Amino acid sequence: MILDVVGAALLGVGLLLATIGLIGLLRMPDIFHQLHPAGLVTGPAVIVVLLACVATGSAEIITSAVLVILFVLITSPLSTHAIAQAALRRPRSRP
Amino acid sequence: MPEVVVDIAAGWATLLLFGGGLLLLRAPDTLHRVLALDVLVAIVIILLTILSYLRDVSYYIDAALALALLALTSTLVAARYVTRGGPFS
Repeated sequence: MILDVVGAALLGVGLLLATIGLIGLLRMPDIFHQLHPAGLVTGPAVIVVLLACVATGSAEIITSAVLVILFVLITSPLSTHAIAQAALRRPRSRP
Repeated sequence: MPEVVVDIAAGWATLLLFGGGLLLLRAPDTLHRVLALDVLVAIVIILLTILSYLRDVSYYIDAALALALLALTSTLVAARYVTRGGPFS
């Protein structure tokens, strides 16, 4: 019962984070401004939705979800950093 | 988890997918498209996770792991393409 409530709350918080990040992405003017809400969607939203696996109570799902959480913790800052550096160093003549 | 909560979450994530498609259509530039595709992959990972909760099967999260790996590789290569004009140059 408590696990159900916790899982539903984590799902709601994760989807709310993704929605806020998407609205920010649609409103921000520049790529450097857009990277901030994009980091919110690709990092914490995915992790919080994956943390809701504790409510399922299945060992296979929890193991796979922990693996994906570790992977996302490494790769989400990497991809954001790569996009930021490419935006900083790209040649100005080409659109 | 109750079935209704997971159903609502799946519908919400599908709406987020439409928002990501709108972001991809509005992108004026190569880097904006790369960023939009990164966000779309994150939303698909969320959708696959919710599908795994819905059906009580762990294979969908494994598919999400493979998708995250592919997204990292493609983002790095596309960023390198924008900077230097080619993935290996």
